[in-house]
This record gives sequence, C-alpha cells and structure tokens, in this order.
Amino acid sequence: MREIFSASVARCPELTLAASLGTVAEARAWLDDDDNAIDALLTDLGLPDGSGLEVIRYAIHLHPRCEAIVISWFGDESNVLASIEAGALGYLHKDSAPDDIARSILDMRDGASPISPMIARKVLAKYASTVMRKPQPSVLAPTLLSAREQEVLALIARGFSYAEIAALQAVTVHTIQSHIKNLYAKLCVHSKSEAVFEATRLGLIAPFVWAALPIDAAPGERSLRAND
Amino acid sequence: MLAAYFSRALSLCLGLLLASSALHLRAQTLELSQAQAWVTVLGQTTQQAVSLPYHWDQRQNGRPGEASFEIPFVLPVLPSASYGLYIPRLGNAYEVWLNGVLLQHNGDMQQGNGADYAKSPRYVEIQPGSLHRSNLLRIRIRADIGRRGGLAPMTLGPAEEVHAVYLKNYRWRSTGSFAITITGLVVGLMALALWASQVDTLAPDKPRRDPLYLHAGLAQLFGLLVVVDVILDNPPLSWLWWGIVLRMAVAIWMASTLLFCMEIAGWSRRPAVSWLRCWLGLLAAGSVVAGLVASLFGHTWVLTLWYSALAVTVLATLPALIWKATHGGSGSQKLVTAVLLLNGLLGLRDLIVVRISSVYAENTLLRYGSLLFALTLGYVVTARFRAALLHARDFTANLARQVASKEDELAQTYQRFELLAREQERTAERTRILRDMHDGVGSHISTAIRQLEAGRSSSAQVVQTLRDSLDQLKLSVDAMNLPEGDIGALLASMRYRLEPRFAALDVRLIWEVEELAPVPRLDGAAMRQMQLLLFEALSNVLQHARAHSLRIRAQPMGSPSAGVRLQIIDDGVGFDVDTTSKKGLRSMTDRAVAIGAILRCSSQPGRTVIEISVS
Repeated sequence: MREIFSASVARCPELTLAASLGTVAEARAWLDDDDNAIDALLTDLGLPDGSGLEVIRYAIHLHPRCEAIVISWFGDESNVLASIEAGALGYLHKDSAPDDIARSILDMRDGASPISPMIARKVLAKYASTVMRKPQPSVLAPTLLSAREQEVLALIARGFSYAEIAALQAVTVHTIQSHIKNLYAKLCVHSKSEAVFEATRLGLIAPFVWAALPIDAAPGERSLRAND
Repeated sequence: MLAAYFSRALSLCLGLLLASSALHLRAQTLELSQAQAWVTVLGQTTQQAVSLPYHWDQRQNGRPGEASFEIPFVLPVLPSASYGLYIPRLGNAYEVWLNGVLLQHNGDMQQGNGADYAKSPRYVEIQPGSLHRSNLLRIRIRADIGRRGGLAPMTLGPAEEVHAVYLKNYRWRSTGSFAITITGLVVGLMALALWASQVDTLAPDKPRRDPLYLHAGLAQLFGLLVVVDVILDNPPLSWLWWGIVLRMAVAIWMASTLLFCMEIAGWSRRPAVSWLRCWLGLLAAGSVVAGLVASLFGHTWVLTLWYSALAVTVLATLPALIWKATHGGSGSQKLVTAVLLLNGLLGLRDLIVVRISSVYAENTLLRYGSLLFALTLGYVVTARFRAALLHARDFTANLARQVASKEDELAQTYQRFELLAREQERTAERTRILRDMHDGVGSHISTAIRQLEAGRSSSAQVVQTLRDSLDQLKLSVDAMNLPEGDIGALLASMRYRLEPRFAALDVRLIWEVEELAPVPRLDGAAMRQMQLLLFEALSNVLQHARAHSLRIRAQPMGSPSAGVRLQIIDDGVGFDVDTTSKKGLRSMTDRAVAIGAILRCSSQPGRTVIEISVS
C-alpha cells in the first residue's frame, strides 16, 4: 500500500516524494533532521509504535505551515474528527484509486477538503450545541462556527453535495470549500486551545505507512518552505 | 413518752421541725395545765379535776358531749403590756372566757357534727386591763365523736413571746399544709395528664395507658384531700359523711401509693398483686363501715383497727420491695422503696401518736409523705423520659445504620445489574457485528473467491464484488455511529458512501431530503435493518434498472413527530411487482416487517417507486 501511494506521488509532476517511512519513531527522527522539510504529510492513524496523530502534531510543530492528510479506511467520524483537531487538513480513503491520491493532495491544498455528513453532524453536535446550551454568548462558540458555516454543515449533514449547497445558497462551490477549510483550521486551533489531544488508535486495520511529501518548490505559491 | 421520743427521732431523720414541747420560754410565761372540769355527756354532768391535755376521744370513748374547764391563775405582777394565750388545740367548738369576759369563740356550741375548729392552733390576745393579780380562765368546748376534740395545755405570757410560739405551730399546720396542697394539685394533675396522653398505641390488643401515672395521680390528689382537710374549718359535709370521705381518701391514697410502688417494681401482672388490689379495695370499703360504726355506735376502736390494718398492709409489702430494690433494683425502685419505707414509719408514728397515745396536740406527719412521693414521681418520669430518649436515639442510630447498609446493598445490586446490562449490550453488539460480517463482507469476499476460483468471471466483476464488500463494511461502520432513529443521518451517510458508484454509472441523483425528526423507536439494530433495506433498494436500481436518474425523497408524515416517508424513484426499465419474486425484494419485505415499516412497490417502465414508511 505504502509503495502504491509513494509511486502515485512520485508519478505526479507537481509533487516530490520526500520520504516514505513506517513508524512514529522513524518519522520523528527524519523530521528532527534540519535538512528535511516538508509541505505535506500523508499518514495512517494506526502506526506500529503509536498514533499518526503524534506525527501530525510533531510535523506541524516543526513546520507550522505543513499540511497533513490522514489516510483512513472508513473515514469514521471519531478518528477523522480527532485528526482534524490534531491539525489534519483532510483525509483520504484507502480504497481511492492510486492515481487519485496525488490529485487529492493537490485538491486539498487548493481547499477541497472533504467532509462527510457524519462528521458534519458530529461537528455540529459538538460545537454548535454549546451555543444552544449556553444562553450567554460564550467567547468560543460564536467565533468558532459562523452562522453561514453552521448552515453549510447542516446541509452537509443532511446529505447534500457541495454543488447542491452552492446552488441552494447561490454561491460558488469554491465558497463552500473555503468554508470547510476555514472550519478545519478553526477546529484545529480550538482543540489546541482546549489542549484536547487524544491519541486514538484505529484497532480495525493493520498498522501501515506514513509518507512525507514536500511539494515541488518550483511553481510560485506552492514553494512554501521547501528548504527553510 | 415513747411517742414523743419517736417523733423527735423522726424529726431528726427528716430534718423536719416538729412542734414539740421543748420550747424555752421565759419565767413570766405560765404553763396552764391544771383545770377543774364540768363534763356533760348524754345530759349527765360530772365534775372533776383534770390535768391537761383532755383528749375527748380517749376519755369519753365514742360519745359526743361538752365540757367547761376552769383554770385559775395568779400573776405575781400586773403586766403593763399585752399578754397572749396560746392554745395548741381545742374544740371542736369552743369559747374562751377570761374573768367573765368572752374573748374568743368558734363553732356551734349547741349543734354537733358541723364545722371543726380543732384543726388549727389558737391565739387569744389579752389587753393589760383585763388581767388582775388573781384571774379565772374558763374554756368551754363541745366535741364530736372521733374528731380529736378536747383541750391541750395552754401557755400564757407576754404577747410577743407567746405569739412567736403560736406562729411557729400555725405555720407548720396551716401554711405547710397549704404548700403541700398546691404541690400535690400540680403533680397530681400532671400525672393524670401523663396518664391520659401517654398512650401505648403499639400494644398488641388495644391502646394501653400506663397505670403508673394513674396510680401516682390518684395518690397525689387523694393525699391532697386529706391535707386540705387540715386547713378546712368548714367541711362541705357533716362530720359523719365528711369523716367517711376523708377515710376513703386515705384508703385510696394508700392503695394508689402501694400500687404505684408495685408498678415501679414491675410486679403489676403478678397474681399476688391482684390479691393485694382486692385487699386494698376491701380496706377502702371498710373505711365506710368503720366510720359508720365509730360515729353511730361510738366504737372508735374500730377506726383505730382500720388504720392499723392499713398500716400493716403498707408495712407488709415493704420487705418484698426492699428485697427487690437491694437485689439489682433500678434507681427508681430504690428511691421509691426508700420513700415508702419513710412513709410507713411516718404513718406508724402518726398512728401511735394520734390514735393510740394520749398526746393530744401533735400534728400528723404522713401528709408530708405525699410531697416526697411527688418528688419521687418527678424522678421516675425524668428517668423514664431519659430512657425513652436514649432508646429513641439508639433506635434512630440503628435505623440509620440499617438504611446505610440497605443503601450499600442496593448500590451493589445496582452495580451488578449495570454490569449485567452492559455485558448484555456488549453481547448484543457483538452478535450484530458478527452477523453483519457474515452477511455483508463475509459473503461478498467468499463470492469473490468463488468468482476467482471458477475463473469464469471477469476481473471487473470480481472488483465489483470486492467494492460491494468494502461498501458494506463502511456502512457497518456508519451504522455503529448512527444516532438512533435519525433517518436523515442514515440517508446522508448512505449517499456519501454510494455517491462514487452512482457517478460511475452516470446516474443522476436528485436529493430531496427534508429536515426529519428522529423516530425514537428505531434502535441501533433497527437502524441497521433500515440501512440494509435502503442499500438493497439502491443496489437493485444500480444493478438492474438501467436508470438515468434516481430521486431520493424523504419527508415527515403529517406532523414532524408522526414518522418519515421515504421514496426511491428511478426512471429505469421497471419490473413486474406481482410476478417478480426476486430474492432482493423478499428480503427487503422481511427487513421492513422486522422493524415495523411499511414497504410499497410500484413499477412500470420509466417509473419505479419504492416507498418505505416508518412511524
């Protein structure tokens, strides 16, 4: 599997494969080397010696603008939400076609973060309900989810696609995507402020790979911090 | 003499002061005890020289009559200040003359059995002018039977000295009696109130009052009546009946006191005490007989006999009570026994002094005994309430302990139940997951293996089977996280999972899902059934319908909480609903029945509708 993903990245002319590693310890060691820097991180959650969440946090700590993507079999809500809160920008299904992997990484960089109805529901339940529970406007809730974001999340939770939502709200799909991306960032910041870091191991599947992928430094804005 | 000694010994014991003759008066005072008496009984007058006291009952033995005493006396010097004459006891009616002048008189000298003025000591003030060197004091009395009439030795002297002696005696007899009356009244009424209010409602047969309080109350009130008589010169009845009432009161007083002691000793249910009750009743009745015999026939010895019987009865119970008190008796028992012993001795002393000896002016002491019993009762009640309080406190503590231990037990039971319930839940969950794996992923994977082994299927078909298997697995995962009864969430997750397959087949999805209220009766297992039902319906469309568009519609039925109506509408080739006994359709019907949903199918080329209603 790791090889397939590595190959997919390697094949993509816009991406450069920086490393392909198997454990949390290897990843930490690799990241500790000042010569190594990455723009994107692709990781499984269940690693042989720990959780992919640790790697995400460590990588983002060292390279704050690094974008992490979690690979998940099921995209099940608790794992995905934990990943988002740890700073992941999105998640990929393991059964995605190999060629899609590289495409998805690029899409996410462009803001096409996916969010499933289940996760939308969970986010709403976790963050929007606090507004309803507290009559006094709390410091957190109003700034965490804007009214528009809540509306978008509610429609996603009911199963509507980004395109359908865009049509319903008379905006572009891109606007919807930016809402979602903002949301990801907010959830991550929020979880850090709460210091809720919960390492969750995925028990159902065999531990697998994580890959560090610096994006090709050449085209303008993507060459963020290739050699800092 | 014995009686006088006895009374002195007792007075020391009690710390009570007695009006004794040991008074130190100065030389000017005269003790007048020698008289010339004219005694008239039954119309016959006899003259004799007497030495006072003149105790009528003892000298005349049950006959009424009157007497005139002449006491001449000589004063060495004529007094310049007032003189006083102190007479400890005289009556029942009397006149006091000095040198032919009537100084004081009380009562009816002609008619007997009326008021009794022999109960109080008397003091007669004498002006200096009334006295000569040689004087004659004449005292007339009229006496009833058995009423302690007569004349006691008198004291004459300067007013201040003699009055002091008089006051002392007066206080003892009258003021003391008054104080006892008040105390007795309060304590007696309190005891009766306790008797009336302290009802043991837990007694087996019927609500039971404590006879202890009744006995104590009766003893106090009847003792009180006896004492009141001392300050009552004018009784409400004639002496014949009043005497009977008084002796009855004494009998009830004694009987109640004894029964009170029996209650304290805890013997109230013994046969011997039943006998004692009978005997006391007999004594009370006997008081009437004795009184009548004494008054009507003049046999005063009958009264003495009756009093003796009473005294003997009380004294006879003492050894048993003393034995009980000294052999592990409670504080109350000891105290009550001691008081009864004291009262017995007082009664004995009274009997000897008043009834048997020739001492005339002495007071009875037994009436003070009721005061002691009042104090004893106070102690007993206090002790009882203290015991009750301790018992109640014990009981409360015990109850609290029991409640705590029950609570503990309950908590443990609850914990066990909870563990059991959780275990059951886990078992059910495991069963569900196993069945899911068997029916879904398992069967798909085994199909894929068969397809590969047979070698007849294209690799596309095998991939399809495996994709189905993965979709099933994802749906299983979703089913675990679905909120119970939330059909909207179910539809949304299903779309999310199956969207790529619709896209692959180029089927346009039209999403018409309204806001849906949860259907509370759909639990986890029912949600899974619903999910499989929908999955089968959608799979049928994908595999067989060759549709271009698929409309998924979900609306609340009537009111938001009435339920949900789902419609899956495609524009494919359709099928014959009546003749098609497809396996899929039958299993869909089974699933609908299992969760109490209604499944309706209608199909024609270009429009097939599967409707699922759940309420």
